[in-house]
Amino acid sequence: MEVTMEFAQSATIETTRFGTVQYAETDIIEFPWGLPGFSGLQRFLALSLAEQPNFVWLQSVDDPRIALPAADPWQIFGDYDPRLPVYATDTLQLRDPSDFTLLCVVVVTKDAEELTMNLLAPIVVNLKTNRARQVMLENSSYSVRTPIPRKRLEAQGAAQPA
Amino acid sequence: MLVLSRKVNQSIMVGDNVRVVVVAVDRDQVKLGIEAPREIAVHRSEIYEEIQRSNRAAAGEGAPQAPRTGAVNRAALTPRKKVPKPEKNH
Repeated sequence: MEVTMEFAQSATIETTRFGTVQYAETDIIEFPWGLPGFSGLQRFLALSLAEQPNFVWLQSVDDPRIALPAADPWQIFGDYDPRLPVYATDTLQLRDPSDFTLLCVVVVTKDAEELTMNLLAPIVVNLKTNRARQVMLENSSYSVRTPIPRKRLEAQGAAQPA
Repeated sequence: MLVLSRKVNQSIMVGDNVRVVVVAVDRDQVKLGIEAPREIAVHRSEIYEEIQRSNRAAAGEGAPQAPRTGAVNRAALTPRKKVPKPEKNH
């Protein structure tokens, strides 16, 4: 289900990928600990292109040039079983399954031939507080660069975030 | 970088809340114990650096950014029905 931006109390940013994006303060997802590689960026919007509803773009509000593509890991890897470390559930105040969701960052390889998903460090979003954190599953065998099988992508009807 | 020499079972305080203990030394491998508050994340550096590189690659750093057309909406994020189980060790 698509949700369009609210016009009341809205602000805009000029993003490099999506042009002008209008948003409300309540749309902002806060990353109090930043993101590895972008530690100074703390405010993001979760955006979807109409033609790619399965991909979520985490668009930085602080730096309009930065947006990370991510997706629901369970769409592709049904048996993904991340064990969230205590520091994640504590600092994000996760008490109930309905409190949160996970997004995993997707990387398009240079030749745009393949997509990989970072299953080792999911982004955990507390949907009640709109705070998020990228969490490293230190003791798991998951990979930062898990190839996304082309067949599963097509079965999901998900276009590549080219 | 501050360099300190420690023997097995000796430790270092980092700030007020973090203690690094030399648990064992075996040839060229040092086993370190970290005592820190639950909310502090402790990770091997190379893993952290790998995540950094991956995030930067995902954001397409260095790649030209062509503006896209088409409608952009707020993504609908919904909770999972399946609950991730808590990690066994901390």
